Amino acid sequence: MKERVLVAMSGGVDSSVAAAMLVEQGYDVVGATMKLFCHDGDLPDRPCCSLDSVNDARRVCQSLGVPHYVLNLESAFGRDVVDDFVHEYANGRTPIPCVRCNTFTKFRDLLVKADAIDATWIATGHYARTVDGVLHRGLDRTKDQSYFLWGIDRSVLRRMLLPVGAQTKVETRAVAHRLGLEVIAEKTESQDICFVPDGDHTKIIRQRLGDDAPALANGPFILSNGSTVGSHDGFARFTIGQRRGLPGGFREPMFVVDIRPRDRAVVIGPREELLGRGVVARSVNWLVDAPAVGSHVSIQIRHRAAPAAAEIVRIDRDEIELALDEPVAAITPGQSLVMYDGDRVLGGGLIERGMRASLPILAA
Amino acid sequence: MSAPIYLDHAATTPVRPEVLDAMLPFYGPRFGNPSSMHRWGRDARTALDEARERVARCLGANADEICFTSGGTEADNIAILGAWRARAHEGRNAIVTSPIEHKAVLGAVHQAAKEGADERLCEVSKDGVVERDSFASLVRNDTAIASIMWINNEIGTIQPIAELAQLAKSSGALFHTDGVQAFGKVAIDAKAIPFDVLSVSGHKIGAPKGIGAVFIRRGTIIEPLFHGGEQDRGRRPGTENVAATIGFARAAELAVAEREEEVARLERLRNRLEEAILARVPDAVIHGRGAAHRAPHILNVSVAGTDSESMLMALDLRGIACSAGSACQSGSVNPSHVLAAMGVSMEIASAAIRMSLGSLTTDASIERVADVYPALVAKARGVAPVAG
Repeated sequence: MKERVLVAMSGGVDSSVAAAMLVEQGYDVVGATMKLFCHDGDLPDRPCCSLDSVNDARRVCQSLGVPHYVLNLESAFGRDVVDDFVHEYANGRTPIPCVRCNTFTKFRDLLVKADAIDATWIATGHYARTVDGVLHRGLDRTKDQSYFLWGIDRSVLRRMLLPVGAQTKVETRAVAHRLGLEVIAEKTESQDICFVPDGDHTKIIRQRLGDDAPALANGPFILSNGSTVGSHDGFARFTIGQRRGLPGGFREPMFVVDIRPRDRAVVIGPREELLGRGVVARSVNWLVDAPAVGSHVSIQIRHRAAPAAAEIVRIDRDEIELALDEPVAAITPGQSLVMYDGDRVLGGGLIERGMRASLPILAA
Repeated sequence: MSAPIYLDHAATTPVRPEVLDAMLPFYGPRFGNPSSMHRWGRDARTALDEARERVARCLGANADEICFTSGGTEADNIAILGAWRARAHEGRNAIVTSPIEHKAVLGAVHQAAKEGADERLCEVSKDGVVERDSFASLVRNDTAIASIMWINNEIGTIQPIAELAQLAKSSGALFHTDGVQAFGKVAIDAKAIPFDVLSVSGHKIGAPKGIGAVFIRRGTIIEPLFHGGEQDRGRRPGTENVAATIGFARAAELAVAEREEEVARLERLRNRLEEAILARVPDAVIHGRGAAHRAPHILNVSVAGTDSESMLMALDLRGIACSAGSACQSGSVNPSHVLAAMGVSMEIASAAIRMSLGSLTTDASIERVADVYPALVAKARGVAPVAG
């Protein structure tokens, strides 16, 4: 009997092609589109924001001759992803909701649905690969999404199918055309966070926390010596390394180097204050057996950042500290720290803080 | 996989062959516009008038009290908005309804509220029946219209329509009932029960989608929703869907003629299914089971530790079509507003599966569902594997 796979389908080209490839490979494919949010809060029964995407996914499944379901994961997504997103910004951090969506929504909640329909496998359109139960980077380095997958439960890796992870985006589009999926073949991909479609994350913060949320209230720009050099209209509008929207009149380019939510302060400074020599991350999750303290790994501190060499100097339950061989710019609390060995993803965690290049690193 | 089983008759039903046969000439040679004065027009007009008379007879109504609509939703909107807009300026600005109504009624009431109406929702019992005293206290001499559905579409409870209609009348309020699920399941007689407005729909009784009717008792003033021509006395302008009205008339006659026998058959099958589920899953919750009167064709069941979505998918992949809650436009399942109003816990509400029986339901299909559903429950609860 054919093995069943539940494919998470967003209506985009990658997951559509993933489903089509799995049909070709002989799997018993069941498509599912997750309904994750609804913007029209006061009219819950109105068409949902993602209706067109749902329709695209449904049409792809129709043309593949496989069943398609829409799953309402709105309340869990709101709790696990959106609430956290808002909470992180309120604490002066810069979250990546996609990580939590993968960890909790796709590879936990959706997996429960897969179990319910006796699906052996769960598949997505991620550009990443699993090799013998180990997560690897996608072959197309420009599209690699392994950075967003560090949080999933290790045991799930052996049930994951990531069919597009072994090809380039160009190849994925070619497959879409070859299989006649013209509906989605040339869809552009969105860089936006799905529940923040117009790119303005402050709207959702305001929606959840109210107009008078401290994260969106006026506060000072200060230098690291404490002197005030201007004022801003909400620290949630800033992230570490940002240059846009800062006061002018300095001899060298200035960057956001720290955010202090308690005094609503955005600290700015020259590039050297942005450099970090060490990083501490929490909520660490391993996708392989945890390496020992003293191991050398390659780390990535944001999506698309170049990998950097580092040494694990401390592991303390779910907290880890690494020392970087060379200073790295803009280590940002709330972003993910992902550890690699070549293409293999070892694990990751949430960046708690970076440590200034100028300060000595204390070993445990 | 064995033959698929359709257990979603409350959503829609297949068009009956007799109905299709009756309609076909109107997609062929008898294509005229009933408003035309020539022979084609006269022919269509005759057929339309007859259809109206036939539907009226099925409801104990006069032909001029029947207004054809595109279906139940339009009928509900005409009733609620039409009555409120006609009466609001007479000092009757309130609308009374229940929280377990179909969204077609609730949506129309919310729209009226946006336009200034005073919206009042009466209480319902834990078995999904409108509380008489609550209803009586809300319907007053400021009430334009009260609207209570005859049979709840999610859980199948039959509401005390005769009594509620009487109560509304005594306050001078109009009384509307959404009879979409009731038509063909209970005796509907406009002469015996004093409702002023009644909604019915074709596709729940073997007529095509896109046809329904609203009964408007003589002397009841309703503002039309549409404006344009003079069709249907101006109550519902627009060229009539002649073929569909013929189909609706035929389906209505068949439903009324077969009602008692079919109700007995469905009741027996529903009870058989209910007993089988309770025998194998003793803690299954059958919503509305404690109501004094239940429709014969709806069984809404929840089992703690399961969820509607997973169960619906698993059932569908085994060839059994059911539904849950009310579907959102995207097709996903939303928590049921009906169960919420009955005070059902979120855990139990999110496990609800509606099985609705009808013309396609046989003993064999019930036996199969009585087998598969409890097995899926057991699996969801981590008890045993399922074959099939």
